[in-house]
Amino acid sequence: MCLVQISSAQESIIYGVIIDTNTNQAIERAQIVSAISGEGTISGSDGSFKLTSRLNFPVELTIDHISFVTKTLIVDSSRFIDLVIYLQPKVTYLDEITIIGKYENDKPYRSEKVTLKTIEKTNIAGIGNLLRHEPNVGGIRKGAAGIDPVVRGFKYSQLNIQINGGTKIEGGCPNRMDPAMAHMDMNDLQSITILKGPYALKYGPNFGGVINMTTHKPRFYNKFENHVDFLMGGQTNHTGFKSGLGVHGGNNVVAYYLKGNYKQYGDYKAGNDLVIPSSLEQYNVAGSIGIKPAEGHILEIGLDRSWGRNVDFPALPMDERKDDTKIFNLSYLGTDFGKRVNYIRFKVYKSYVQHEMDNKNRPFSDTVVAISNIKAINSGGRLGVNLNTFKGRLELGTDYEQISKDGVRTKYLIMQPNLPRFYEDLWNNALTKNLGVYAEWQRKFAALDFIVSLRYDYNTANSDTLIRNKPNGAPVYENDNTASTFNNISFSIGLTWHLNKYNELTFSLGRGVRSPDMTERFIILLPISYDPYDYLGNPQLKPEANNELDLGYRFNKSNIGAVDVSVFFSYVTNYITGELMPPSVVKPQTKGVLGVKKFVNIDRAWLAGFEFTYNTPIQYEWFINLNAAYTMGVNPESTQYVFENGEVIDERIINNDPLPEIPPFESNISIGYRFLNQKLIPEFNIRLVAAQNKVSEAYYEPASPGFTTLDFILTYKYNAHLKVYAGITNIFNTNYYEHLNRRIIGSESPLYEPGRMFYMNLIFNL
Amino acid sequence: MKKLISFTLILIVLAACHKPYQKKVTYIATGAVSAYNLQYLDDQNELVNTEVIPQSAQDIWKYEFMSDQGEIVYINGDYKDINSALKIQLLIDGKVYKQAETTGDTIKVLVVSGVVPYE
Repeated sequence: MCLVQISSAQESIIYGVIIDTNTNQAIERAQIVSAISGEGTISGSDGSFKLTSRLNFPVELTIDHISFVTKTLIVDSSRFIDLVIYLQPKVTYLDEITIIGKYENDKPYRSEKVTLKTIEKTNIAGIGNLLRHEPNVGGIRKGAAGIDPVVRGFKYSQLNIQINGGTKIEGGCPNRMDPAMAHMDMNDLQSITILKGPYALKYGPNFGGVINMTTHKPRFYNKFENHVDFLMGGQTNHTGFKSGLGVHGGNNVVAYYLKGNYKQYGDYKAGNDLVIPSSLEQYNVAGSIGIKPAEGHILEIGLDRSWGRNVDFPALPMDERKDDTKIFNLSYLGTDFGKRVNYIRFKVYKSYVQHEMDNKNRPFSDTVVAISNIKAINSGGRLGVNLNTFKGRLELGTDYEQISKDGVRTKYLIMQPNLPRFYEDLWNNALTKNLGVYAEWQRKFAALDFIVSLRYDYNTANSDTLIRNKPNGAPVYENDNTASTFNNISFSIGLTWHLNKYNELTFSLGRGVRSPDMTERFIILLPISYDPYDYLGNPQLKPEANNELDLGYRFNKSNIGAVDVSVFFSYVTNYITGELMPPSVVKPQTKGVLGVKKFVNIDRAWLAGFEFTYNTPIQYEWFINLNAAYTMGVNPESTQYVFENGEVIDERIINNDPLPEIPPFESNISIGYRFLNQKLIPEFNIRLVAAQNKVSEAYYEPASPGFTTLDFILTYKYNAHLKVYAGITNIFNTNYYEHLNRRIIGSESPLYEPGRMFYMNLIFNL
Repeated sequence: MKKLISFTLILIVLAACHKPYQKKVTYIATGAVSAYNLQYLDDQNELVNTEVIPQSAQDIWKYEFMSDQGEIVYINGDYKDINSALKIQLLIDGKVYKQAETTGDTIKVLVVSGVVPYE
């Protein structure tokens, strides 16, 4: 951001700050030079600079930095400057967002980006938890970790969650205690991008949105360099700490990144002093090597191993005992193929999750100890070619994903002679395959950006016989008709209309189709959903389709700030939900459930909502960031099962029943001031969440009260190498819970969020 | 800088090594005046059957081993002499965790079991 001050008739002083486009971090030692006079200066550790010029305006400035793409801009004092000096990293990462450049920045649909700064300054250790602060993003909490994101009311496999633009992880737990995000350490991330709606189709099948986690990557340097990163954070309440230690460096041919993280937390106290079991221990080691055999060609090999131990899930029947995850990936990006080809990208990956959970910490283990072991493998790849053609950019590509899952639950009857044990299949060699091809064409006109995407998916799945036997061997359920094949077509179209320099309108229309996931197809009688029923997979489900329309308005002016408003309407066909099975067909196998629900398609459901954000201009020392969001979802005709004494006795139709697990209206306000040339930044964050009274009657979903929390964060940048973040969350020790939090097993008590908490993070970068 | 990098690498490798906490498990059987049978999970997690012939009701049969937290611990016992009795105790780190006893009950198998608790 630049400010111009005329200090005399002949002399002007230009103030500014240089910022990294990717990380929003200040850029130190950037050269700012007047192209005509040669007058220049260098940005300080906080990215700021002051340039004195004797030239008349307009002045042409060149901003140069060894690691960033050189930028030239015209400073025109008569317009009081409204240029933000963001520099694009020169290093071509294998990162989806970076290499797309300006085309990707003008998306005609809503997106959110969580930057490195946000990741560094929070005390939150889990990715899903952090995302709950983004507009229209909620999270389902079941325990100490693994909060499952809900974006605009879409969740689970309605969201496409991936790492570095393509690597995917399949969690092992049928109850999703380990969704994809739970297998990544937040300290390994550089940013998280949320692309809302079924529009970005090059990332794989996209029904309700894409969440892309970008990790730290090897960085190439002109001369060989080594760097060390160190993070240490501790907190009271949910008492524990997180730490991370990394080394990275390289030259212009080989680069490396190696990092290890460790975190351990105990139980926490809610605002009412209730102790919530929430201890966890997680650690990981991740490394990657980048090779640049020639300019414009980068090969990267990465391996991440992570371990979770003794993670409490008070809202589930079991706790996570062990989770061992391996993620391997190999990526190639070529950008040096002449003018016709922008880039060619290739990626293969394999993630392997070994998940063990048990009820050993639960009262029921006095009679039956149940241990579940699940192995989940997700492997696949992607090939994409981006061309300059048809007066725009055309990307053609193909991707493949294969998920296999197998798991057994062993039950030990420990109060009986001879310690009898028996086995139940959770998954029975279940396998899904998805082969997709896509095309995305973008073109910029004078005041209009246009994008159209098309995607075709060939999806197949099968499993060994879905079978559940009683301990004596008598069959409870058996289904050998497990194979299914689908041909899905998705498309989207989007327009960005630049009304003038400050205002633009956006329009997106799309249809995203997803095939049923592993759980919906093959789960064998487990209580995996919100309601107290055993669920049964249905291999013959049809794909679910989201037909969505987004309209948006964006305003950005340097002295006023940036406003972003979006509204959406989503019409879902073949919506997947549960339908009660007659007891004569199959009986429930879990103590305390009311019956068995089988996954079925219903005709339709719809969701609608909006997001609003406002950010003050970066040029001011004070700042206010505001966001507000709301989503509502409706099932036009749902069935409520009426039960008495633990048995279903009747059913009734409810018209326009709200969909379950939709977060209520929420607004976040952040207010702060940048002291001492941005070295010291105190900041207050206020979170206002409304009551959720639009709840599903069919699911007997309880309403939840509204709440307000206040956090304080103090940022202190001692120098370029040391940053300190200290804060108090939930200052007033408010006793509250999120609407999406599950209830504690065996009680009617909701899973309350932590009460007041003090924390501090230290970050060293050498 | 090289030393710092080496130190960092060592720390990262060490972070990958992890040993679970262990606790001392003790099975104790006493109170019987004649032969009785025990079946218990040993330190290898195998079910072991043994017959014990005590000299008096004060005789103590004991088996100790170190176990990871969360492991199943299990012992059962029975006897055929209606004049006998049996008391089985399960101790964790020297403290009674669970126990049971019968007197003159030749039908019921006495089972004492549980999970080595987590801290």
